Amino acid sequence: MRLAFWLYEGTALHGISRVTNSMKGVHTVYHAPQGDDYITATYTMLERTPQFPGLSISVVRGRDLAQGVSRLPSTLQQVDHHYNPELIVIAPSCSTALLQEDLHQLAAHSGLPQEKILVYALNPFRVSENEAADGILTELVKRYAAPQEKTALPSVNLIGFTSLGFHLRANLTSIRRMLQTLGIAVNVVAPWGAGIDDLRQLPAAWLNIAPYREIGTSAAEYLAEAFNMPAIYEAPIGVEPTLAWLRSLIEKLNAAGAERGASPIVMPPLHAFSLDGMSAPSGVPWFARTADMESFSNKRAFVFGDATHTVALVKFLRNELGMQIIGAGTYMEQHADWVRKELEGYLPGALIVTDKFQDVAKIIDDEMPDLVCGTQMERHSCRKLDVPCMVVCPPTHIENHLLGYYPFFGFDGADVIADRVYLSCKLGLEKHLIDFFGDAGLEYEEQEVSAHPEEPAAAPSASNGHSSTEIAADVAVISEEGEMKWSDEAETMLKKVPFFVRKKVRKNTETFARGNGESMVSVEVFRQAKESLGG
Amino acid sequence: MQVPGDVQVIKEDNVTHSFCGLACVGWMYQKIKDSFFLILGTHTCAHFLQNALGMMIFAKPRFGIALMEEGDLSKHEPSLEEIISEIKADHHPSVIFLLSSCTPEVMKVDFKGLAHLLSTPDVPVLFVPASGLVYNFTQAEDSVLSALVPFCPEAPAGDKKVVFLGSVNDVTADDLRAEAEALGIPVGGFLPESRFDKMPAIGPDTVLAPIQPYLSRVAVKLARERGASVLHSLFPFGPDGTRVFWEDLAREFGVTVDLRDREKAAWDKIRNQTELLKGKKVFLTADTMMELPLARFLHRAGADVVECSSAYINKKFHARELEALDGVRVVEQPNFHRQLEDVKLMQPDLIITSLMTANPFVGNGFVVKWSMEFMLMSIHSWSGVITLANMFVSPLQRRSKLPAFDKEVWLEGVMPSAE
Repeated sequence: MRLAFWLYEGTALHGISRVTNSMKGVHTVYHAPQGDDYITATYTMLERTPQFPGLSISVVRGRDLAQGVSRLPSTLQQVDHHYNPELIVIAPSCSTALLQEDLHQLAAHSGLPQEKILVYALNPFRVSENEAADGILTELVKRYAAPQEKTALPSVNLIGFTSLGFHLRANLTSIRRMLQTLGIAVNVVAPWGAGIDDLRQLPAAWLNIAPYREIGTSAAEYLAEAFNMPAIYEAPIGVEPTLAWLRSLIEKLNAAGAERGASPIVMPPLHAFSLDGMSAPSGVPWFARTADMESFSNKRAFVFGDATHTVALVKFLRNELGMQIIGAGTYMEQHADWVRKELEGYLPGALIVTDKFQDVAKIIDDEMPDLVCGTQMERHSCRKLDVPCMVVCPPTHIENHLLGYYPFFGFDGADVIADRVYLSCKLGLEKHLIDFFGDAGLEYEEQEVSAHPEEPAAAPSASNGHSSTEIAADVAVISEEGEMKWSDEAETMLKKVPFFVRKKVRKNTETFARGNGESMVSVEVFRQAKESLGG
Repeated sequence: MQVPGDVQVIKEDNVTHSFCGLACVGWMYQKIKDSFFLILGTHTCAHFLQNALGMMIFAKPRFGIALMEEGDLSKHEPSLEEIISEIKADHHPSVIFLLSSCTPEVMKVDFKGLAHLLSTPDVPVLFVPASGLVYNFTQAEDSVLSALVPFCPEAPAGDKKVVFLGSVNDVTADDLRAEAEALGIPVGGFLPESRFDKMPAIGPDTVLAPIQPYLSRVAVKLARERGASVLHSLFPFGPDGTRVFWEDLAREFGVTVDLRDREKAAWDKIRNQTELLKGKKVFLTADTMMELPLARFLHRAGADVVECSSAYINKKFHARELEALDGVRVVEQPNFHRQLEDVKLMQPDLIITSLMTANPFVGNGFVVKWSMEFMLMSIHSWSGVITLANMFVSPLQRRSKLPAFDKEVWLEGVMPSAE
């Protein structure tokens, strides 16, 4: 038992519904108390679904339990009548799982043919969202994938693309664009938009692409084993990984094609992958070399998220933007070993593995990084600390479900990520000016604020869009909480530090002073700290 | 046999696409400012609160989940001492509400005993039944208020005052208080007030005036335990409801007032809105339990309420609203599949529905309004009349201002799982 406020992963029921909500002709029936279908709102509101998602609840009430009645058979009949699905997945919730009911038997009372029903009764106390989603997708693939002829021309399946996936549509578009450029057909996308028949046809493709470590990998592994289908498991995030991904794709398809005497696929000139077909496919390699990006080599980044994005973002920030990685972590405990292996040599310390957002918030507070790549929760933690943060993976907020084309995959995605890093971080030349001249004309903001605490003043661009009231308030809180006293002169000196880094300087100086056994920050201690910390 | 005014309520079998009682945390923790709301629950409860209610944590929230994990299932009684200490150290609450959820209820956790055990004279821990096995969306507010009853001082006999039942924001509360005083009605306060130590005195001469339609249990409890009387009137929404509410309440205090002119003036103020609502077919799906008074206002405003459904209808507590809905199809515990088919046939002009169902109805060509919004807006009494009317009218007006919409074009590929 622990006190929880936020959780990174959703429930098993959420994972199951993400897969079934992606699919045509599949309906999930929750055997659950009223309210457990709140999950529906995540689809109808975040994805703005214009139809009712294939999810129904068969309500279990306390009275029913006392009387030993179940609405499940009649709910199944109604769902069948109203939606006429090809398959109904029945899933218990955490509370009904404890009842140990025979859901197969209850389902049989509905009179629906057995092949129309799949009882997927995971232990919701043991299995969470991603494992459940990966599990049911694999289960469905096993159930329906059928031996058959390969397509005549090279084709691939895109596996693991799932409802509520991070920038799902844009990633899919980016992959489709690259495949189109290479003349490779998409056989099936699963589960996003797939019907039962599509699942049957999975083995017709030459190769599987399963870029998400969390969802789809197991299904691709099953297809590799049962149908001898090659697969690519890497995520094409960043320019170099995308190039490697393309080369690997071509190589594997050509190997499969050679058996059939097909003519080999040739890597086209790289400009063929650009949006206009005649330019560099990504701006990142040149961008990273331009002079103002030199300041990025001093920027300290911290990454926390799921397995796929944590690995990809750490590599991208270090390898392609030349930033320092001060730490990384994941909430996907079951994939932690994979993340550790992928990030060998990248991290200064051990990989952080936790599902407690408070732990991550504390690390950010201690480290005060220049950039955090995280989830919606890190965004909240960072907002309080005025640390720049970009959301790079679920859990997300409605703000992460935008209309425009913002992929993370492919060359297009590399540009999107680099732009976001650039907009999130404090800038290069501007930063030097502010650092050098101290106030840089920004000081009046804070004074104005303290004169009119009720009216938030317009924030300067360098403060990343947070109102300066917020920052001033944070500073006040810190000085109240900190036990370390400051002499008046040292306090005056601190005021000369630009206000948006002042808190960090205060904190570092106090840590330094404590480490040196000082009980108070004097001008002398402050100077020593500056010398020793390079501030 | 149906006697006049005895409205036939059709009872069906389910409430789907609505939240469980835990949802009440969303507004109750903000209302009672020195409280902490602790839910003994699972991953599902936590996921619900963070997702469906969109409750974002900028500071330390005054609610949390005592998260039951697999190892806790085999334990006889959950031990919450450490969590309670953590809450006290971090938040210094005056009161902790301990909410039940489905899993511990299935496990038959003795919540009353648990709350008693955790209570101290300084910080009481109050049990609030809230699980979806029994309670709907707004009904757990009723549980919270019931738990607060022992902390309302006893008002002596002869202390005749009104106590308003229901959590509203401070502006609305001030407004109701001022209105009552202007009519010569002495005000004892609100249950709940904004602070735990400020709960109103209630005794045999207290008149309880429910201002939210989902608080029948606490009203009955206070009548039984304190001998208080309960006002049975319309709820103070819209010109009609507001007039009847104040006239009936004044009568309890021996004051005769005729507010018909005021009602007429209020209708006049919203004439543009009611002109638009006249004859419009409105369908209310079951969500917040505010459906009966909202439908009654629409009915009086000239709209054609084709169906008003609600999770629970209490024939006594809602008697006056039901009377006023005579002739309207009223359904308790509606079946959503049946409603979908009826909506298709009836083609309502406006559907009042939950967060879960709103966008799919829009996708099917209907105009909708979120039912939950009616809980978060100041729509009570005279000052709420325009807001209330506008809430029904604005989606209709907005739709008429948007350009023509060809579903075939603009919905293509939006939902690949749809056929």
